[in-house]
Amino acid sequence: MGTGNSRHKLAALAACALSGSLLAGTALAAGPAASAASASAASQETTLRVKMSGSGVDTLNPFLAFFDGAYDVFAAIYPTLNSLDETGKPGPYLADSWTQSDDKLTWTFKIRDGLKWSDGTPLTAEDAAWTLNLITTDAVAGTANGSLVSNFESVTAPDATTLVIKTKEPQANVTYVSVPRSGIPIVPKHIWESQAEHLKDYKNDTFPVVGYGPWTLTDYKPEQYAKFDANKDFILGKPGFDHMVQQSFKSVDAAVAALRSGQLDYINGVNPTQFKALQADKSLLTIQEVGNGWTGLEINYNARTRTGKKIGTGHPALGDPVLRHAIALATDRQTLVNKVRDGLAVVGAGYLPPAWPQWVWKPAPGEETPFDLDQANKILDDAGYTKGGDGVRVDPKSGKPLELRLGIHSDDTDDAGISNYLKGWLETIGVKLKIQTLSMSALNSDLAKGDWDLLMDGWTTGPDPTFLLGIQTCAALPKDDGTAGNTDSFFCDKDYDELFKKQLTTFDLDERAKTVGEMQSILYKADVNQMHFNANHLDVVRTDTVTGVIIGQPDAQGMYPAQSYAFWGYLKATPATAKVTAAKEESGGSALWIGGAVLLVVLVGGGIALKRRSGADDRE
Amino acid sequence: MSAATNAPAALDVPRHHAFSRFCRAFAKRPAGLAGLGLLVAFGVLALVAPLFIGDDQLNVIKVDGPQLSPPVDGYPLGTDQAGRSVLLLVIWGSRESLSIGLIATALTVVLGSAVGLLAGHYQGWIGKILMHVTDWFIALPSLPLAISLSAVLGQGAASITIAIAVTSWTATARLVRAQTLAVEARPFIERAKVLGAGNTQIMIRHVLPNVMPLILVSSTLTVASAILSEATLTFLGLGDPTSVTWGSMLQAAFLGGAVTAGAWWYLMPPGIAILIVVLGFTLVGRAVEHVLNPRMVGR
Repeated sequence: MGTGNSRHKLAALAACALSGSLLAGTALAAGPAASAASASAASQETTLRVKMSGSGVDTLNPFLAFFDGAYDVFAAIYPTLNSLDETGKPGPYLADSWTQSDDKLTWTFKIRDGLKWSDGTPLTAEDAAWTLNLITTDAVAGTANGSLVSNFESVTAPDATTLVIKTKEPQANVTYVSVPRSGIPIVPKHIWESQAEHLKDYKNDTFPVVGYGPWTLTDYKPEQYAKFDANKDFILGKPGFDHMVQQSFKSVDAAVAALRSGQLDYINGVNPTQFKALQADKSLLTIQEVGNGWTGLEINYNARTRTGKKIGTGHPALGDPVLRHAIALATDRQTLVNKVRDGLAVVGAGYLPPAWPQWVWKPAPGEETPFDLDQANKILDDAGYTKGGDGVRVDPKSGKPLELRLGIHSDDTDDAGISNYLKGWLETIGVKLKIQTLSMSALNSDLAKGDWDLLMDGWTTGPDPTFLLGIQTCAALPKDDGTAGNTDSFFCDKDYDELFKKQLTTFDLDERAKTVGEMQSILYKADVNQMHFNANHLDVVRTDTVTGVIIGQPDAQGMYPAQSYAFWGYLKATPATAKVTAAKEESGGSALWIGGAVLLVVLVGGGIALKRRSGADDRE
Repeated sequence: MSAATNAPAALDVPRHHAFSRFCRAFAKRPAGLAGLGLLVAFGVLALVAPLFIGDDQLNVIKVDGPQLSPPVDGYPLGTDQAGRSVLLLVIWGSRESLSIGLIATALTVVLGSAVGLLAGHYQGWIGKILMHVTDWFIALPSLPLAISLSAVLGQGAASITIAIAVTSWTATARLVRAQTLAVEARPFIERAKVLGAGNTQIMIRHVLPNVMPLILVSSTLTVASAILSEATLTFLGLGDPTSVTWGSMLQAAFLGGAVTAGAWWYLMPPGIAILIVVLGFTLVGRAVEHVLNPRMVGR
């Protein structure tokens, strides 16, 4: 949704299509998964078989898509102006060089000559200009990525190999606006021009989809798979496989079973329990990526609109920094890392994740908030929050007891785990939590209206932090009529906003990093967004079928850089030379069957039991 | 069953006799006794659980067991991801699972019997409307309805109980209506009417006692399905994530990757506990049905 950002939990919305999906997941685990994948693998040509992002694809129309699965597809089939290298720095793609004017307002991109869309039409700067202009000028086209180009004055293509972007204010991150996966994909003008009128209804599902990238999309079935053919003439290198299949799995356990039985080559994103179980498997490579996101607690301290009108039903006491700090003091982040993520995470502090070291900020020694329940109790006592008969403190100003709602994502095990711990710790400082499990859409709707006290939230970000920092600015607050807000916690701070503008116009990396650090310091002290941890991203690869899908080298702790798997990983993956076909079921297999059987008994039994009630006839 | 023995007894004695006769007949059914034994065992465990399970064993911030460990000393059924004993969780989970099952059944029986009785007694437009409403509920797919209901009511034990009751009262209603129709066709009802009995008296004093055995049988079977429904709905994430029930244990195990990890000690106990209790109720229900239903005697 922004410069290299995606709300990863937004994506998981689809994953909670509850009953059917779980049954389907169990069935997949037991039955022959990835039938589409294995069919094509049987032929001479090679196929890379990967798990589709858990979110699936919401739409193949890149102007409207929000789900991670869709971004993965676009990264494969549509070009961007820049690519990103391993460290997250912009590199060449459609543009092979770029310059900026002295006043920092005009950017000139040199577009490569001689590229052709998959239908043979030449790919020129005009395509890029048309796409970016459409997003700048058309509200529907700007649905997904409009915020990335809001500062663009004009985009023009004086000739086929030159693209000129003029910005209203100097903008440091122009080279991040069109990057694979998290930026704006460039679409072929000759295909899309006729669709611009009714963009909202255009599904973009005529196969093969005309595009340019390492792959061409040849088939897509919702909730099932997306199939690709390699683009042998791709400018940044020829893909190592002839075909690629992204297979949809409703449950990661089902995908793991497919991987173990050799029906799948790569899974991006397993949970710590699965990761540790798979480490013992000799035919699999398990790697940890440095986390590119955070999981944490948000506090509704002051929900209001841009004009300062109070909205929502947040608990008034949360406006008090003392109470917020007490909550921070009562959160043992190390225990959360150890127990909820099985140790495979970094204790959170700064707002930006460790995957992009240039932006990482840590509180100065002595300024960290420790885990100290006694201190939390003490500052609450001192501030006049007296305990009632039931052990729950009362807000001295409003007279309301400190009973707070904590919204968590219904499809997220981390959230459920963390909520158990938070409930326990906060109980010991006299704050009662009421856990509300909500779907992503219900949670977002409550968030926008301010109808919440505490929320578990998580974001991931690409190398440019502008979007993630932007959702904490006053400009992100909703209007009085409730629209146009993409605030994350109704945070609004003048100093923060000034620094936000400053970093956006700072072209020196170190200086910009310093400004971004000051912003994170403001957030840390406000205790409104409390970072719990940065989870390491966990991947599994079959070593007997694929090599090279993992990009970069591990550091001393064995941590790999954040993987741009959807672009570089799938492009650089090659078939393993010694191909072993017979893959053995590991010891986990029997447990899998038993577990599946137990689940089936409960689910099917429950279904039958409910059904039975409804199917009863008159018995005398 | 010898019907002649209670002929000379006093007014309240036949009922007493009927009960002891029922008990004797029930005692001759080993499957029913076995089911009853299972239920009593689980019931006692659930009731005495607070004596030996407390916050120290259940609160994730206080436990210190190994994480997701197979059965070891001190943890006969292993531990969950937070380091809590699975055995204690299963025992504790029986409290909420059983109480939701029983309360939902009570609601189901009360609602279903009331609707069935009224619809059977007032056969005019009231009965028609009630039966049309019942038919409408029967036509609705139960699981999606239960899911949407508990989603609307907010998650937690209360809303799951209501969701189960709302989706499962229809069978009882139809059953009771049919029996009411049969009973009201008998001559003694006509006699009561002639003697001046009002609607309420006929329904409560004459029809209800005759319908009661059927309700009893139906309710024992309803408990079994209510417990399964509870586990299903909690497994689907509609329960309170901080409370311990069998369904929520299965959910935590499943979503936490216990299947891949081969953590059978985490997945199996709650599943088997559900199996045993549902089996217990079904066995008891079948036995009661056999005893009370004269047509099934000898089968």
